[in-house]
Amino acid sequence: MTAPLPLPRLRLIRPTTVEAAVAARVECPQHEVLAGGTDLLVNLRRGLLAPPALIDITGIAELDEVRTTADRTRIGALVRLDRLAEDPAIASRHAALREAAVAVAAPGHRRLATVGGNLCLQTRCIYVNQSAWWRAAHGACLKSGGEVCHVAPEGARCHAAFSGDVAPALIALDAEIEIAGPAGRRRVACADLYHEEGRAHLRLDSGEIVTAIEVPTSIAHSGYLKERIRRSFDFPLAGVAIACRTEGAELSALRIAVTGTNSRPLLIEGTDALLGRRIDESVLAAAEKLVARQVRPMRTTLFPANHRRSVAAALARRLLGALGAPDAAAGRGHAGGTA
Amino acid sequence: MFDPGPIPGKRLLRIRLNGRWREDAVADDQLLVDYLRDTAGLTGTKTGCDGGECGACTVLVDDEPIPSCLTLAARCEGRSVETIEGLAAGGRLHRLQQAFHEKLGAQCGFCTPGMIMAAEGLLRRQPDPSEAEIRAALAGNLCRCTGYVKIVESVRAAAAADA
Amino acid sequence: MPTLAGTRDGVPLIDGIDKVTGRARYTADLDHRGAFVGRMLRSPCSHGQITRLDVERARQLPGVVAVLTGEDFRVPYGVLPIAMNEYPLARGKVRYRGEPVAAVAAIDAETAERALSLIELDVRELPAYYEAAEARAADAVRIHDDKPGNLEREVHHTFGDVAAGFAAADLVREELIDCAEINHAQIEPHAALAEFDPFTNRLTMQSVSQVTFYLHLMLARCLEMDESRIRVIKPFVGGGFGARVEVLNFELVTAMLARAAGGKVAMELSREETFITHRARPQTRIRLKLGLGRDGRLRACECEVVQRGGAYAGYGVITILYAGSLLHGLYDLPAVKYDGYRVYTNTPPCGAMRGHGSVDTRHAFEVLLDRMARELGLDPFEVRRRNLLHAPTRTLNELAIMSYGLAECLDRVESASGWKARRGRLPHGKGLGMACSHYVSGAAKPIHWTGEPHAVVNVKVDWDGSVTAFTGAADIGQGSSTMVAIAVAETLGLPIEQVRVIAADSATTPKDNGAYSSRITFMVGNAAIDAARRLRGMLTEAAARRLDCDPADVECAGGRFHVTGATDRGITFEEAVKAALVDQGTLTVKGTFTCPPEAQGGKHRGGAVGSTMGFSYAAQVVEVSVDEDTGQVTVDRVWVALDCGFAINPLAVRGQIEGAVWMGMGQALMEETRYLNGMPAHASFLEYRMPTSLDSPPIDAQIVESIDPNGPFGAKEASEGALASFAPALVAAIADAVGVDLDELPATPDRILDALVARRRRQRLDAVAGGGR
Ligand SMILES: Cc1cc2nc3c(=O)[nH]c(=O)nc-3n(C[C@H](O)[C@H](O)[C@H](O)COP(=O)(O)OP(=O)(O)OC[C@H]3O[C@@H](n4cnc5c(N)ncnc54)[C@H](O)[C@@H]3O)c2cc1C
Ligand code: SF4
Ligand code: FES
Ligand code: FES
Repeated sequence: MTAPLPLPRLRLIRPTTVEAAVAARVECPQHEVLAGGTDLLVNLRRGLLAPPALIDITGIAELDEVRTTADRTRIGALVRLDRLAEDPAIASRHAALREAAVAVAAPGHRRLATVGGNLCLQTRCIYVNQSAWWRAAHGACLKSGGEVCHVAPEGARCHAAFSGDVAPALIALDAEIEIAGPAGRRRVACADLYHEEGRAHLRLDSGEIVTAIEVPTSIAHSGYLKERIRRSFDFPLAGVAIACRTEGAELSALRIAVTGTNSRPLLIEGTDALLGRRIDESVLAAAEKLVARQVRPMRTTLFPANHRRSVAAALARRLLGALGAPDAAAGRGHAGGTA
Repeated sequence: MFDPGPIPGKRLLRIRLNGRWREDAVADDQLLVDYLRDTAGLTGTKTGCDGGECGACTVLVDDEPIPSCLTLAARCEGRSVETIEGLAAGGRLHRLQQAFHEKLGAQCGFCTPGMIMAAEGLLRRQPDPSEAEIRAALAGNLCRCTGYVKIVESVRAAAAADA
Repeated sequence: MPTLAGTRDGVPLIDGIDKVTGRARYTADLDHRGAFVGRMLRSPCSHGQITRLDVERARQLPGVVAVLTGEDFRVPYGVLPIAMNEYPLARGKVRYRGEPVAAVAAIDAETAERALSLIELDVRELPAYYEAAEARAADAVRIHDDKPGNLEREVHHTFGDVAAGFAAADLVREELIDCAEINHAQIEPHAALAEFDPFTNRLTMQSVSQVTFYLHLMLARCLEMDESRIRVIKPFVGGGFGARVEVLNFELVTAMLARAAGGKVAMELSREETFITHRARPQTRIRLKLGLGRDGRLRACECEVVQRGGAYAGYGVITILYAGSLLHGLYDLPAVKYDGYRVYTNTPPCGAMRGHGSVDTRHAFEVLLDRMARELGLDPFEVRRRNLLHAPTRTLNELAIMSYGLAECLDRVESASGWKARRGRLPHGKGLGMACSHYVSGAAKPIHWTGEPHAVVNVKVDWDGSVTAFTGAADIGQGSSTMVAIAVAETLGLPIEQVRVIAADSATTPKDNGAYSSRITFMVGNAAIDAARRLRGMLTEAAARRLDCDPADVECAGGRFHVTGATDRGITFEEAVKAALVDQGTLTVKGTFTCPPEAQGGKHRGGAVGSTMGFSYAAQVVEVSVDEDTGQVTVDRVWVALDCGFAINPLAVRGQIEGAVWMGMGQALMEETRYLNGMPAHASFLEYRMPTSLDSPPIDAQIVESIDPNGPFGAKEASEGALASFAPALVAAIADAVGVDLDELPATPDRILDALVARRRRQRLDAVAGGGR
């Protein structure tokens, strides 16, 4: 028992109902929710947090269901990413969701990782995703209990980047998130689950957990492209999801969301101005520009912010072009990855 | 002085390890990989990183390959866990072991147990995988010695061999 | 051409079954029962004077059995006798973030961690330098008092008339090439297990070492112990690549903790600590100038190399010497000037890594040669062919070249890749590039020069007919024990299964200098053959007595000794053994190998570095696709040919070539260690990105056999030579694909996009300038 970086001492609470899980969270807000654990256990070993107990929600059967109706798909928070990647119904209804799910980490992780965990993934920064020794030696930052942000010392906020792959797909697809809390269940648009603040990017109240995702089927075409250095387990330097609908040849709906560049998955504004137009060079250029203008990558990774910005914009152009092409499924996804 | 911290919970874990049921008292905070190596004494499963970044710890849980450093032992209650030590049976190497041996799928051998378990998970799902499927299935398992060439060859040879 | 019985396709590793069954025990898998847990406290500070180090509270903590600081180590260590400037735990000063300053052993990991947290360390900070240029600045404070300018070593070598060479050249070009620092990143994290017996005062050490003999020496030195009381055993080792070719701080600390605790101490390092231990390829800046004739002949070469060496000497002197000396030996170079600067910085110490010293300068050389050939309208293969050497020969710096298969390597990859038909005809965004490289088969002069042979192997044969070879050579996955088994079996005419190999245990095996500079096949292989031949001689004599004939008329083959020309008049191997044992008992013979003085390099200072009995040669072609929107480079295919003299085990040779090419690819495409104010920013496999199975192309590896006159069966090294040609071939392929010349490694998407943007800007400016005229 000499292995370095063990987990801190903690207890496991294993509720079997949503109500019991919420009650456990209410009783002690410091307890952390454990789903797949692929993010949380690593963070615990690196001392990023030290909860007295983990509330392991994987015993709640209700949260592990996928249900399809004509106009929506309901996905429980515990549905694993490998299932999202392989379920033919998801692939045919929500291509972006499938493509985002397979872009996460590597196959072994996806067999553990849940969609709820992916949405609630901690934001990332090269100054905090390190060992406890590292952070102490370097000096803490706002997110790790210090006074200053090493990325933007002049500011008062944390810019740690939201780096989940699935959230932008769900935002583009206009999904809603179902949340359970002490006061019962509520729903929010996926984009509204997040704040632009790296220390507290989730808008969940004390005691709340994510229980399900509801994805409408109204937007037919969608896709996800991811920029990373290698084709397997690499967080997105930038990831772009687009969902669109065309009537005749004209755009009747267009939603673009970007991950890896901000502290939240960012819904790009101003896409409505492109509605009614055909997807031609000018529309592609406009989409590229919208993305380039709105994303705010900071020096939270080893790769330069300007690179992440220009690649996010380039991916948006490429993806929209591919979705607008006659056979929309083909011809894209270099970095989208199949890992 | 120091604060010893809360006492971790302990529970009785019943799992089927390489085909045999066993019971152990495990702490709530024990990772599956540490349970396998320290409690069960099965050191074939390796640790190559500080969590989730190398695949050397890959084992099968209910037939599915997962990194055993990313899950808790306590969560394997009632499940079947298989490690590299469980593959050879009746004095015969498993076909993946035979192939990795003959085709030099193992150089230093440190990634090999995880690699073979990931490949075994693939072959159980897909007995006749393409090269692309093999590469995709092993994408979470790093190897620093082989360039993966002979690993992929080994998995293909094993798939072609009779079970 | 020689052929080895039954091994033309190659044989699996003799320890392969242990590896595929999980039976193989690596250091962390050894019996840890009763072991205390060792942990080290690391410096949070890059550079400074230790003003207080109080371990009292840690010592008082129940469960703590030993606490050490630098004060417990009076003697410095280091791999080079001339440059031992490191202590296992820092004394007086810390020089990089992560440097070990104190260590504890305790009853369990939790107690050990807690003890570390009770140690109080105060450091008075000094200015810290993270780049070579900063450390060399005129006003920089010294990292080591005896090293002004923070220069560990300067090398200035000139061979031939360089000025005349450039004057005679038709094209002279100069480039500045930057190569990132990279790491071995072997998958097994560092670990050690030491057991001290307080009753007999004996120490048994097991560790991840590639150099068990050096470890033995350094343990005796730093623990101030009698060498004979130490036993070093190498368990299975999960890769090395140079990470473990020098003795590492944690090994010495673990042993010292075991002695202090009077028992057994296990130390396992995290992946982060394994990265911090480092000793890999330094960040290197190369300024290279070449002169070429219109005929493609090289006329002169001028090369300046600056290496950011990190905080301690390690192998630094050797690395900076290799970088210059291995400019030679690949092509016919009439004039070479080399200036090398090895610089101390406040970063973890660099060291030796696969292709030691040669990789980054070779990269620069090949890249520039390729660009100049393009300017002259010469095909990249052609320009190399015009500069081939002819063995046997000696280079300007007195390196002996005894065999040279580069021409055949070129032919092989040119045809395999379809170069002539495809180069220049691929669609935009796809490209082909090629390059060459070479490497030594063992340093002809060992680091610890004692006058002993370069290698010794013992072979024992006993009443049961079993043959056991004893070698100190460390098998770290490269298959050296298998090579020894083949060499012995082949020489004795036995199937390989009949030979056992016992390796790397100082209590039973002869001393061996270790697994570095690709020395084992050449040196240990020759020693193994020598031992087996002696044994064969004894058995032949015994057989002759039994067969009642002259020993000269006895042949040994197929497990039998028989009279030449009369296969029926013979006895089995076992019978010959029984006959030989009469009067003598168990036979143990010794074989040795010594590099002759002529192979040991020039008389100039540092002239021994680069000298070897034989060079391996490689050529490779890389095919890429480049995505101009994202900067992503995909390696589609690689064709490589390596002249390894003779492939004793073709299966293992192919495995080594593939591994080397792939490792070159990692360095070329994505691997990079970076620091944030001296903190390692890459100390995980997420941030230190090596290629996964999905990033890795098929590799077409071909073996070229030039049959070296001195190699064992004609063999030379096979595991390093092919590495260095990958990166330049990749850079050439990128240029072919999208027309940008990359001056920096690795070729990450951001660098590619930057280069593309810069080129577009230049083109616009050129267009404006052109339009204005
Ligand atoms: C090597 C490696 C590479 C990775 N690469 C990627 C990548 O490329 N892309 C990517 O997106 N992710 C990546 N990840 C992160 C992680 O694997 C995934 O994001 C995964 O989907 C997280 O899901 P989980 O169920 O394992 O979450 P957990 O680890 O269980 O939880 C993550 C966080 O969400 C909280 N949480 C979980 N479920 C809920 C819920 N229902 N309600 C409220 N809070 C909840 C937890 O408390 C925790 O803070 C990587 C991880 C590793 C180790
Ligand atoms: S963005 Fe700033 S505050 Fe946030 S984690 Fe990084 S350094 Fe810390
Ligand atoms: S030990 Fe590296 S992934 Fe588990
Ligand atoms: S064989 Fe050494 S890491 Fe794969």
